[in-house]
Amino acid sequence: MSSSTRFFFLQAGALGLAILFGALAGSVILLAINENPLEIYPLIVRFNLARIDSVAAIFYRATPLILAGLATALAFRANLFNIGVEGQAYVGAVAAAFVGFAVGGLPRLVHLPLTILAGMLAGMLWALLPIVLKLRRGAHEVITTIMMNAIAGALVLYLLEPGLLRDPAQAGTPRVRTPDILPSALMPLLHPALSAIGLEIPGSSRLNWFLPLGMALCVFFFWVLRRWRFGFEVRAVAHNPSAAEAAGISTQRVQFLIFLLSGGVAGMVGLSDTLAFFGYFDIDFPKGYGFLGISIALLAKNNPLGVVAAALFIAFLDRGAQGVQVFAGAPREVITILQGLIILAIVVGYELLTRYIRVQLKREAQIAPPLAPALAATGEGGE
Amino acid sequence: MLGGRMASPDLFLELRNISKRFPGVVANDKISLAVPTGEIHALVGENGAGKSTLMKILYGLYQPDEGEIMVRGAPVRIAGPRRALELGIGMVHQHFMLIPVFTVAENVILGSEPGRRARLDTARAIEQIELVTRQYEFDLNPRELVANLSVGEQQRVEIIKVLYRGAELLILDEPTAVLVPQEVEELFANLRRLRDQGKTIIFISHILDEVLAIADRVTVLRRGRVVGTVPSVETTKGQLAEMMVGRPVLLQVTRPEITPGEVRLAVEELVVRGAHGRPVVRDITLSVRRGEIYGIAGVQGNGQTELVEAIVGLRPIASGTVRVDGNDVTRVGTRRVRLAGLAHIPEDRHHRGLALPMQVRENLVLGHHRRGLFTNGPLLDLAEIEAFARERIRDYDIRSPATTTPALALSGGNQQKVIVAREFAFAPGVLLAAHPTRGLDVGATEFVWRQLMGAMAQGMAVLLVSADLDEILSLSDRIGVMYRGELVAELFPGEATPQELGLYMTGTKRAPTEQAAG
Repeated sequence: MSSSTRFFFLQAGALGLAILFGALAGSVILLAINENPLEIYPLIVRFNLARIDSVAAIFYRATPLILAGLATALAFRANLFNIGVEGQAYVGAVAAAFVGFAVGGLPRLVHLPLTILAGMLAGMLWALLPIVLKLRRGAHEVITTIMMNAIAGALVLYLLEPGLLRDPAQAGTPRVRTPDILPSALMPLLHPALSAIGLEIPGSSRLNWFLPLGMALCVFFFWVLRRWRFGFEVRAVAHNPSAAEAAGISTQRVQFLIFLLSGGVAGMVGLSDTLAFFGYFDIDFPKGYGFLGISIALLAKNNPLGVVAAALFIAFLDRGAQGVQVFAGAPREVITILQGLIILAIVVGYELLTRYIRVQLKREAQIAPPLAPALAATGEGGE
Repeated sequence: MLGGRMASPDLFLELRNISKRFPGVVANDKISLAVPTGEIHALVGENGAGKSTLMKILYGLYQPDEGEIMVRGAPVRIAGPRRALELGIGMVHQHFMLIPVFTVAENVILGSEPGRRARLDTARAIEQIELVTRQYEFDLNPRELVANLSVGEQQRVEIIKVLYRGAELLILDEPTAVLVPQEVEELFANLRRLRDQGKTIIFISHILDEVLAIADRVTVLRRGRVVGTVPSVETTKGQLAEMMVGRPVLLQVTRPEITPGEVRLAVEELVVRGAHGRPVVRDITLSVRRGEIYGIAGVQGNGQTELVEAIVGLRPIASGTVRVDGNDVTRVGTRRVRLAGLAHIPEDRHHRGLALPMQVRENLVLGHHRRGLFTNGPLLDLAEIEAFARERIRDYDIRSPATTTPALALSGGNQQKVIVAREFAFAPGVLLAAHPTRGLDVGATEFVWRQLMGAMAQGMAVLLVSADLDEILSLSDRIGVMYRGELVAELFPGEATPQELGLYMTGTKRAPTEQAAG
């Protein structure tokens, strides 16, 4: 349809405008702290994209963000707010680390998938309680998942106590961490595959197979939501649970399943760091992915393909923040503010655009002729 | 005393030819209404008759497309609720908007707090409120926490809120829906005192007993029009019911001659409980046979919605059984009920009928999407769905630019056709049609009626629930009347006049039914 193409370009245009607006608003802040936006913005682009290792760092940073964004977006698609991605990521990472160091003697082909599966299952388990409480008792998942985050944080610290998962070999050192994960459970890096297609990235980069895996999951869930019967039911439940029920769809079942899937994906968020960077789980495990996931889902309008783009965009800005700090001496918080402004602008822009499109569609429908006027009279309802 | 008030030329509010249209629906059609100062004026009508649209216009939430509003003889434009209040029009909402942890006084002054700058003058607030409660003899302590109040007392707070802000005209939207009978009496006493002190009241309801008890005059709305305004001392429940649901016969359907066959839908001693465990469907037994339309008549809110939803599996059944073609489908869940061959046109197309943001074709297969025809492993077969949608759109003359247009873009009539087209697909054995033509224009109504006739001719058993007596009388082979959750009469359309049905519908008369006989 010509109108749907038009709406697509409108959306793309709105996105561009929103980024531009965010950048302009950011300029005001930069000027206020005596920085020249005309120097800072080009600096970000040059610093980020001029060198292959910087590009690799952006993709590495984007890897957990893609998974966190996807986990949040999946739940959002069934009108559920999974604020617990953060906690689900912790327990997933610990569970994976445990299977990674404690289960020995397996070939990589078995051990690595098993390790990843452990992370997913732990994430699901952490999502199980909130969704059961919601469906059975009506407890709001925002509250319960936040609680579960707090529990996960404390549990992880507890598990790192001596005698539990703490590495005895580190006794006497200030390092609080699990033993090293066995090589058979580590995620291989992308370097060989990339050099096969002529891309050489430096050995310092830890870019690994979780990136293509996360992207593939996004494509997979995009397909599921769009073309699968289950995806159809998810959309029906999201758009009108009462009508979905009247159509014989169990909204409870759909919400239960999608929340567990969300938890499963969330359980993988920390694995890129655990299985490809640290090689163990320690007390300084990176935090905050779950909350960035909310921004990313918002930017992506909960579209799994959009999640990849949004995660890369956030990773790009994060990387730029380092450049700004190092080369311009400006505080990196400027970039954080810029991120916030752009997200706000995009969300507002989308909302306005959605309303505009809705009005246009209604107008079109009011003047529409029937699809096949000549045939209308021959149907069973005809004269 | 009544006559004196009515003869007063001093009109507080006058509406002249107010019209409001939405796509495909005329919500208000040239409504004229005159309410003198110091009158309790009831506005009655079924759901969708246009009451709430009219009240939203009065309260400034909608602007009329046409017509004039006069307040105290001067034409006004009501831009919003604030303007309405300035004009002396106050709304007492059906759902209370109170903060439980605040006192009565704090709730009343919320939004128009006395006192200078940030300082809140609670003492003065309490004084002012006591003045109001004393003037109108309201039994209410301004220092009490709202959380400790009964529902009836909370409603009093809502009324005082409106009075405190200087309202001269109070609009009460179904104020008795939440009250127990004793509280209703107190409310009425309070309203009468307000009237006697010169306030004007518009009372919206569909409970005719109450309307007759409280109102000086009653205006009946139907399908967006004023049917008439009558003094309550000169009318009866039966007459009001007829005005509410009757309709000058615009449409005639030719009924095919069919001898009803075996029983396809059998409901036995069905009991459904409402929010507080109170039965809302009481021991209903009825059966609908092949090639038969069984019409359920009744004033809205007498258990019809609950009956239909319980049969479809959307509401828990307390006791009793439901059989479709001999198969027991009691408490098996909506999906299995539908699989057994039951289709359902829900009473509110936006609530139960459609997922509005989804495509027309997606809405057309909603509920059929698990059929083998439309699936391919875990995938949906889009080609089949598209073909099915095109056929349905053609046969049911649905005006939609494309099969992928979101349902929200269609007019109300076309949205209803989407539901009808979907529910008639795959030859269901039993159809539950709840208010299938509510809000539709004449053309769309006729279309739905012909579809019902056609389906019946093909052997479907139809349970038709409608607030429109004319629809019931024109289409049904048998008519059951529901009153307070019970089936109080079962008759043939030939032997029932609208007047007689009105008597049953208002509980004035009872007749033996299947359940009483069996």
